[in-house]
This record gives sequence, C-alpha cells and structure tokens, in this order.
Amino acid sequence: MSTPAVALRCQALVKRFADTIAVDHLDLTVPTGTIFGLLGPNGSGKTSAIRTMLGIYVPDAGSVEVLGSSDPMAVRHRIGYLPEERGLYAKMKVIDQLAFLASIRGLDQKEATRRAGAWLERVGLADSAQSPTGELSKGMQQKVQFASAVIHDPDLVVLDEPFTGLDPVNTRLLKELILEQRKRGATVLLSTHLMEQVEALCESICLIDHGRAVLSGVLADIKASYGRNTIDLEYRGTAGALASVPGVRRCEDTGQEARRELEPDADAQAVIRSLLDRVEIQAVRLDHPHIEEIYLEKVGHRETAPDTTHAATA
Amino acid sequence: MNVTQIIKIARREFLARVRSRAFILMTIMVPAFMAAYMFVLPLLFSTTGTETLRVAVLDTGTDLADALADRLAEIDRPRIDVTERTLVPDDSDETRAPYSDAVRRETIDGYLVLVEDPVIVARARYYARETGNPPMLRALERAVESTILDRLLVDTGVDVAQVRALLRSDLGTTTISAEGEEEGGFEAAFFSTFALAMLLYMAVIINGQGMALAIVEEKSSRLIEVILGAVTATEFMTGKILGVLGSGLTQLAVWVGVALFGLVFVLPTLSVGAEIAGVDLASILSIELLVYFSILFTLGYFFYSILFATVAATCTSTEELSQALFAAMLPLIVALFATFYVLANPSTLATRVLSLLPPFTPLVMLARINVLPPPLWEVWLGIMLLVLGILVTGWLSAKIFRYALLMHGKRPTLPELLGVMRAS
Repeated sequence: MSTPAVALRCQALVKRFADTIAVDHLDLTVPTGTIFGLLGPNGSGKTSAIRTMLGIYVPDAGSVEVLGSSDPMAVRHRIGYLPEERGLYAKMKVIDQLAFLASIRGLDQKEATRRAGAWLERVGLADSAQSPTGELSKGMQQKVQFASAVIHDPDLVVLDEPFTGLDPVNTRLLKELILEQRKRGATVLLSTHLMEQVEALCESICLIDHGRAVLSGVLADIKASYGRNTIDLEYRGTAGALASVPGVRRCEDTGQEARRELEPDADAQAVIRSLLDRVEIQAVRLDHPHIEEIYLEKVGHRETAPDTTHAATA
Repeated sequence: MNVTQIIKIARREFLARVRSRAFILMTIMVPAFMAAYMFVLPLLFSTTGTETLRVAVLDTGTDLADALADRLAEIDRPRIDVTERTLVPDDSDETRAPYSDAVRRETIDGYLVLVEDPVIVARARYYARETGNPPMLRALERAVESTILDRLLVDTGVDVAQVRALLRSDLGTTTISAEGEEEGGFEAAFFSTFALAMLLYMAVIINGQGMALAIVEEKSSRLIEVILGAVTATEFMTGKILGVLGSGLTQLAVWVGVALFGLVFVLPTLSVGAEIAGVDLASILSIELLVYFSILFTLGYFFYSILFATVAATCTSTEELSQALFAAMLPLIVALFATFYVLANPSTLATRVLSLLPPFTPLVMLARINVLPPPLWEVWLGIMLLVLGILVTGWLSAKIFRYALLMHGKRPTLPELLGVMRAS
C-alpha cells in the first residue's frame, strides 16, 4: 500500500442543513504522519466538517480525499474515529465492548479480543475487563473509547475533543498515547478547544469559524508570520503601573506576569525601555504570539463564543 | 453494504436481545400462560363441575317435578342432586321462605320453582346463591326446556326421541378447497388462525419494542456515532433488524417446541385438557399451513421490524418512542382485528384487497389460507407484494435512518422526513 503525502484533503467542501450552512467551502490538507489541529469555537462546524470528511454525512458539494480514496467508507477500516458525542453499551462487559468495537473496525473476533485485552492493560483498566461498562467512571470510559478508536492501528486517527472530562493524570496518558500514534506512522486529526494541547502536540492547524477556514498552515510558520510581536514580562510593581503604555495593542496582566502584544509598527525596544521606567523587571522576552492569542484575535471578537475563552484559559 | 459488518452488528444485537431479562421472561411466560389457559383453567372449571349441586324442585301444580328431576339427573357437569320434590301451593315469598333459608344455611345450593303458564304449559325460576355460572345455568335451562317440550309433544303424537335428537344435532361443516374436502374446518381454523396471529403479534411487539428501545438508547447515549464511524447507517439498520429477527425466531422456536411438546405429550395425559381444547391436532397443523406461516411470519416480522427501527431512529427519548411506536403498531392491531372479519368473510373483495396490502398480508393472508384457501396465485402475489413492501420500506427508512440517527434534542418533522425521502 503506497502512502500518499496527504492523509486527508478536502476542497471546497459544503454541508448544508435545512436553514444553516455548517461547512462552507472548506479547504483542508492534512499531511501524512503529522498531528493536525482542527480548531474553532463551539458551533463553528468542526464536528460537521469531520462527519462530512468521514462519509457520515453526504457532502452537498466539494470533494474529499481520505487516505488516497475519494470514498471515505471504502477506507473506513484504516480510519479510527473518536467522535465528540460518544457513548458505550452500559450493560456490555468492558472487554466484550472493546472487542465488538474492534471487530466492526475490521479485526476478526479472535484478534479483536486479544487486542482488547492488551489495550485494557495499556490504559490501566485490566481489572475492570469483566465489569459492565456502565460501572466505569466517565474518565475510564473515555479511555475505553480512545482505545476503541485506535485498536485496529488505523492510518488516520480522528479525535474530536478527546480531552474533555479527563483529569491531569489521564490527560497526560492520552497525550502520550496520541504521540505514540504518530510515532507508529499514523496521521492524527485533533479537534480541541485546549490550546495548550494544540501548542504541545500539533504541527499544523486549521482554524475554522462559521464553517470556513480562517487560518491554516504549519503552526510554526503561522507564528513566525506574526513575528516576535509580544513582550513576555515578569515584574514587581504596583498594579496598574503598566496601563496605557504607548505602542501596546493588547495586554494581559496577572499582577506578576504580563504579556503585551505590540502595535504592528511599534518599536519593541522602545516599549521595553518604557516598561523599565515603570516597574522592576525580573525577566523579559520578545516572543511569538501563543496560538491562544492568535485564536482569540481571529474568532474571540464573537460575542457568541464565551466557552471559547473559558476553554482557552482552562 | 458490507455483509460482514452486518453480521457483526446482527450478532451483537442478537446476543443482547437474547440475554435481556425481558426476552427470557417473555419466552418463559408466554408458554406458561398458554399452559395455564389450556390446562389449569379447565381443571379449575372441572373441579367446580365435580361438585354436586343440591337442588330442590318445587312444583306449584304443573305435575312436571318428576320429569324435571329425571332430566336434572342426566346432567353430569355439574352433577345435580335433587334433594326433594315438593308440591307447593304457590311461588309467593312465604311459601319459598323455608327454602331460601335452606339456601342461606347452605343445606341446599338452590331450588327450582315450576309455575304453570297459559301458553307454554310451564315456566321455571331458579333461586340460588350462585346464579352467575353460564354453563350451569344453561344446563338447567336445557333440562327445564326439554321437560316442558316432552309434555308439549306428548299430545301431538310426534316421536319424542326424534325431536330430542334433532335438538342435539349441530350444523356439520365441511370445507371445500381445490385440494379436496375437509370436515369441520371453521372452529379449528378460527382457533389456529387466532393462535398464529397472536404469535406473530406478540413476537413483533416484544422484540420490535426491545430493538426500538435499544436504538433510542444508542442515540441518547451517543453511542451511535462511534458505530457510524465504522458501519454505514444502512448496514447498522440491517444488522439490527436481522439480529432482532434472529431473536424473534429463536423465541418462536421455543414457543412452538413447548407447544408441540405440550400437545403431543402432556395433553393426552389430561383428559379434561383434550376435551376442553376440543381441537383435532391434525386439522390445525397441516404441513402446508406451517410452511405458509413460517414464510408470512418471517416476512411480517421483517416488515414491522423495519417500521419500528425507523420510528425509533426519529425519536430522541424513550418517552417520545412510546408514543411514536403506537403509530407503527396501529396497522398490526388493525390487521389483528381484520382477521376476525376475514374469518367470517373469507372471500369478499375487501378481504382479498386487505390480504394483498403488505402491512396486513401476514395476518390476513394467513387467515384466508386457513379458512378458505385462496387461489395459489393470490397467495404468492401477496407474498411478492410483501417482499416488495419490505424492500421499499427498507430503502426509504435507510435514508431516514442516516438523516435522523445523529439528530439529538429535536425530532425531525414529517415534512423534513418527506424531503429526506425524496432526496437521493
């Protein structure tokens, strides 16, 4: 099986519902072997885009190419999809459940059961293998669901909000597992609100809003295109001393640390000098913007996105 | 459509169904109730029948007391013990008082009072603690009637034995069909049609509801999308229905097995059972009927499962489901009532049309085959139309399925669904 350079590509993809347009001429290219972040506020069309790309929805226009095929269903056994809306059969035993989900992803019964056992071991649920799934905690079920999405070693792993509901220990475990997938050679499409995870995991991103791509590309390139336009500051001084510094467009201040984004044509050195006059500086760094800041700049103006800022600071 | 995917879904559904508490309970309960109905109830009746009813006969001057006592003695269920025959002056309250007291004290169970009548010679009234037992009252009535009739006939010179034989004879029936003539069709046909119709009805309701509930639960637990990533909506629906079909057939096999066992091994050992059931085994279970029943059961089951699955896919909660399911069950209920009409009118145009409409074919055609076998071409036309109905319904519901399965919180409206059906 040849590996195309692009694991997933869609062009001018459109998905309409009765009176709304969920995906609006979306172009997206996910290079093979990378972790790709699909970002956007609630209701921006991420889930609809994913469903359309995976063939769960029939697109109204545009084209999709998944793992070299124009029909996602033809390559479905090479895709591992963890939907945002996910549940499990409450009455089924954990091991049977995982084996069933593995079997509909193309493994034969014996292999499905063997791998189900191995994965339960891997995510620390071996002791619960014979329990009804309904007895597991939400976080434990999340791990079973993640395992079910990657148990058949898919070439493309699509994870829609995989981190919701996980504690820090399991968040770290999941991060490791995602990185393992890439190491194995799989391509990962990650849809999330958690900007720190995007920063830590993703090589490329696409930010969508109202079903349209508003920003896409390699994360490092995107950041570089903004230049070092942000001053990262640790300081001691009175609160408010940093207010209204000329040349600063936007400012975030906790009282001990501050990040200030410069006006496009401001002189960074001049701004730093003026800061020195106002407070006692412990550390200062001229930085690229965080993805969170880029995100907020692109879509944060929307009144309808209170969850976005919440999630971004979580 | 990928067959292995369908099989995997069907297998899981089948196991989930068969292991469910409702399934196990119903599989056991239905034969248990049937057994209770067929064996225990008659036994209960027969015990009341073995009790002897103590009855006094009071004659106000008809001179029929002895003749009536003889007739009463001929009744064997319940056996009647005539405690006394007394000539009384009239049937006033005062005259009857001592006998009513005896009834209250339970030294007798009741008494009959014979009164002269200008037109029909005599009338009788029965006074007793228990007057609500129709078979017993009917037996008493017959005894009184034949006693009076005997008296009437004595004067006319008609042979009494002849008249009595006439009264006891029933209208014999013989069903004529293309294959030949068969005696005594109707009762057997009525019984077996009703039994088979109920089997189909219950199997659909129990298993179909179970499946519909499972689909709504999969929707509300958001499990559906996990599955739809790997299985198409059509495969999912087909697998579900086949799994449910499998569980339904399993249940039916258990029921039929228990029924056969009961009829062949248990029934003959219970003399009352055989008498009460009163149906000749051979006349119910012809091979031909069983073949048609199997075909119609499977197809009918399939048809209604698709309907149930589709209805379930459009519901977002179990509350919504129970309302919507009623709509899906309605044709089945109508069909069940229609079988009564068909049993009485097996060859009218209405019957023939009904039996060719897919929602009604399973029950109505079965009733027709059982009562008055229609021409072979009509039977097979009905079966072909039912298959066609299944394909069309399946095709439409696959569209609805894909559209409605991922909808949460809101039910699709009818215009929306029609739109989905029209779109390719």
